[in-house]
Amino acid sequence: MTEVLKIEGLSAGYGPLRVIHDLDLVIHPGERVGIVGLNGHGKTTLFYAIAGLTGWQRGSIVLNGKQIGRTRSQGPGRYTHQIVRQGLAIMPQGDEIFQGLTVEEHLDSGAFTPEAWRTRKERKERVLGIFAPLRKLMKTPVGRLSGGERRMVSIGRGLMTDAKLYLADEPTLGLAPKIGIAVMEALLAIDLKDSAMFIAEQNVALLEGKVDRIIGMHAGKLKGEASSSFRLSGSH
Amino acid sequence: MTDQAPPNPCVWKNPLAVWGTATGNAEAPSIRVPDPRDAWRKNTAFKVATYPVGRLKYFVIWPHHGRRTWNRTRWWPTRRNLLNIGGLYNRKTAIPEKRILDRRPIYWLLSLCLLLIGPLLFPQAHMNALLTAGATFGIFAAINVCWTLIIGTASIFSLATYAVVGTAAFVTSLLSIRAGIPWYALPPIGAFIGLGFGILIAAPALRLDGFYYALLTLGLNELFRVFFTTSKQFGSASGGLYGADSFINQNWPPLTQSMVAYYASLCLLIGSLFLFRFINGKRLGRVLRMAPEKHEAFAAAVGVDYKRARITIFLLTSVALGFIGGFYAAQYRGVAYSIFDFQTVLLGLAMITIGGIGRAEGAVLGTLVVIFLRDVLLELGPWRYLIIGAAMLGVVLFLNNGYFGIRRQFNAWRAKKRGEWRSGRTEKGGEALPEEATEINDKDTLYFRRFDKMQRDYLKELIRPEIIEEHRRQPLGQHSEALERVLLYFRRAKMEDKYALHRAGPAGPYKIIAFSGVRGVSPRLVDDREFSTLDEAYHAVFMRRVHDLLET
Amino acid sequence: MDIAFVIVNAVTVAAIYGLIAIAVSITWSSLGLINLAYGFIFSFAGYAAWLMAGRMPTNPYLIAGTGIIAGGIAGIIVCLLVFIPLHDKPAFTSRGMIATLAISLIGSQLFLMIFGPTSKSLPDLFGRWKVKLFDITLTADKIGIVVCSIAMLIGVVLWMRSSRRGLEIRAMMMNPHAASIVGIGIRRTGLYVMGLTGAMAGLASVLLSQTYYIAPFSGLTPLIKGVSIALCGGLGSVQGAVIAAILLGLVEALTNKFLGGQYVLMTQFLFIILVLVVRPRGISGLVDIAREQ
Repeated sequence: MTEVLKIEGLSAGYGPLRVIHDLDLVIHPGERVGIVGLNGHGKTTLFYAIAGLTGWQRGSIVLNGKQIGRTRSQGPGRYTHQIVRQGLAIMPQGDEIFQGLTVEEHLDSGAFTPEAWRTRKERKERVLGIFAPLRKLMKTPVGRLSGGERRMVSIGRGLMTDAKLYLADEPTLGLAPKIGIAVMEALLAIDLKDSAMFIAEQNVALLEGKVDRIIGMHAGKLKGEASSSFRLSGSH
Repeated sequence: MTDQAPPNPCVWKNPLAVWGTATGNAEAPSIRVPDPRDAWRKNTAFKVATYPVGRLKYFVIWPHHGRRTWNRTRWWPTRRNLLNIGGLYNRKTAIPEKRILDRRPIYWLLSLCLLLIGPLLFPQAHMNALLTAGATFGIFAAINVCWTLIIGTASIFSLATYAVVGTAAFVTSLLSIRAGIPWYALPPIGAFIGLGFGILIAAPALRLDGFYYALLTLGLNELFRVFFTTSKQFGSASGGLYGADSFINQNWPPLTQSMVAYYASLCLLIGSLFLFRFINGKRLGRVLRMAPEKHEAFAAAVGVDYKRARITIFLLTSVALGFIGGFYAAQYRGVAYSIFDFQTVLLGLAMITIGGIGRAEGAVLGTLVVIFLRDVLLELGPWRYLIIGAAMLGVVLFLNNGYFGIRRQFNAWRAKKRGEWRSGRTEKGGEALPEEATEINDKDTLYFRRFDKMQRDYLKELIRPEIIEEHRRQPLGQHSEALERVLLYFRRAKMEDKYALHRAGPAGPYKIIAFSGVRGVSPRLVDDREFSTLDEAYHAVFMRRVHDLLET
Repeated sequence: MDIAFVIVNAVTVAAIYGLIAIAVSITWSSLGLINLAYGFIFSFAGYAAWLMAGRMPTNPYLIAGTGIIAGGIAGIIVCLLVFIPLHDKPAFTSRGMIATLAISLIGSQLFLMIFGPTSKSLPDLFGRWKVKLFDITLTADKIGIVVCSIAMLIGVVLWMRSSRRGLEIRAMMMNPHAASIVGIGIRRTGLYVMGLTGAMAGLASVLLSQTYYIAPFSGLTPLIKGVSIALCGGLGSVQGAVIAAILLGLVEALTNKFLGGQYVLMTQFLFIILVLVVRPRGISGLVDIAREQ
């Protein structure tokens, strides 16, 4: 079976700063992978590199058999919309939202393939099934929602297509603990048939035991991998 | 650590085994150690391609700097030197020399001299046409230099410049025709009209952002065009006003008339260049360079009154533009409606875009190019405007700031590429990058980093399964050369984050800890694993250190 | 009644210029480009319609359709030449504006060379019937112009609200970075936007040529008027442009009645300056979220 994501020799950075150094990674279908590490060590840059939003990048990234990484040194985001159409759903750090659109329009905007657009009603129902509080807020402009609700909209938007790889960047960032746990549980409860999920999180306790693998990231390189039986004991 | 067969296997023989060994390590398989001096030589070898030492050909150098520091040629009555000349000692020959740091005054002087002696160089057959084109060039270049002041220095994107000139020209022509005002009074009256116009359109300039204002002035241009073309006293019947007084006497031979027009326009151009210099090169320009677009709030917070500076420049240039309008009426005896056309604004925009917005030399070069295409290459007919438009489009698409912005654009691109190539080659923990190196005050650290990198690269080659097995069998005591080199490097490491062993009881289990390197701060626990014997614990520490070495 | 006649005229003219104003607004708010090449698009569409009218003078739908489609094509040409090369370069806004002006210059010269300076006219698209309403005689072309403009406007607004492309355009107005994450490409959306706005300008050209002629430089006045209306209404909002068009039409009508034709532009611009001094971002600067530069 083909891997969902295969990264080989990825280097990426912004201008003269190199953030990711020759990274290799493989993610298999049906897998949930967590990546942990301190701020500034490259988790978000890794996600952006997969999506093509870094300043420059080099190396090979193969998503579901299709090569989406390219050696690029300017124009971040130039090819992102094509990369996303290969089956990538990104839920970026800190929600990139559209200020003036309502919740319903946000969810609609996530359905970017023609097939998804045609079946958007069913998909919206599915998302509302996962995030029930959104049902009452369908007509509210997203700018007026609270942090947790906005995060739900952002994640729900990512769920509107049948993506092969879900990238969730710090889903609990800035949320109150209870809401963070609820959001994370909703994210982890999604049924991945052939897809894979890649979650970056600082709060390792939320991922313990619930993901198949946890990878550590330090200074742009992957360091250490632990399987689902991994338990932390408060040390480095 | 590689999985391949060791390149240099050998068997190490314990030199002390002659007297017997307690732990039985008379021999151990090990590897031959490559000469560490090779690593040093390879690393310190000079890899960069060298060129013959010397300076670039276009740096012009003269001898003897600093001889005359008091009695230099200056612009009387100031103490300003003629050229910005810097002196230094040539380190190679220890001879003092000087070179010109800013060559632009020379270029300006040469270009203006070329323009002054232009009529002597024009081919006789086209003398009249070229002189007329030259006069047009002079006036339009003056207008564009003032326009550059508005758009570049004052960052007010105004498209109503030609409307100001046209209004002043029309009103002064009317006054001259009706009230018989002589030619020398026309430019000052035009200046007043320009001032009035400027006051009128200055108020919105402060309230509106850049492009809103541009669109508003576009509309104002149109407004004035309609007003003048439909009012009878401004010559709506004849397409313009004619018959104003001029300094060019009708009785002179036509060649003299053209010559006088040419040189008068040139004087106007030089006057406008002086204006540019006095505004942009002095206090007002300085003040506004502190308040570039989008960063005005910062300037205001620092205490720079950029609004007042912008309005002052706007009013001063409106006065200048009105003066030019009066001059236009005086030179051409009147003015036609075409000055209010959209086409004229477009051509003016083409002129300042091709040269580069914000620089006087850009305005002059752009005007030269466009006037040459339009007034000299007359045989091209309607293709002229096509070529001008295509040139404008091409310049705007490919160049960030016109012709004179090419150097800066190229340098920025090259710096960006260089940064990216260099960052592609950086490794973590390697030698310091030049940008970093200039920031570090203690240069010894740079040399240490470099040496450390060389050592680590060398030692990485030495890490083999044989070494590890040798250490596992006997952590302390006599070792082969390869293992000994590695161990000495580890033992010499600095205290911060150095691994050590912690013993819980007298014969208690051992745990790995790491020092903090700071006096008074206790070490941190690295791993929960407990080791029952000391040898096991030593070996575990060794493995951790090896692992860290291979990571870097 | 005299004033009613003048008002009807003003509304007709406002409808046409309002189309261009809305086109300018949409282009600015979704792409960040001030498109001043509407002179070129106008003439392009007008000449295309004229060529079609030469072949099939009796089919008004075909003529109008040709004009609309030609306008869309011209808009896409402008997009390919200006927006796509420049959208990620520094100083994009001013360079884009200058580039569109350059296209205006090139275009008008090309039309001058190809079609000559004589004006062309289109056959009456709406016929010659008249309707009498409250003592006012409304000719067919005026009704037709107003109805067509409003229909186009409503069509565009509905399309923007309900279709995927319209959602993409609106999303890109608000957050281009997030838009690329949901598969909205800037360049493809740019093509749609400029095609759509070009089509609107094409329709305006066909409608305007009922009253005026088609000439190489005939697009300049509508451009300037349209841009002024967009400016007054706020460069990002459609409602503002509509309100400004109506208000400026009223100002024109009143000036025509009380002061005479040559003061129309003056009063209109005084009005615009007044509005801008009070609200530097236009009428709807706060009503709608106008795009930041």
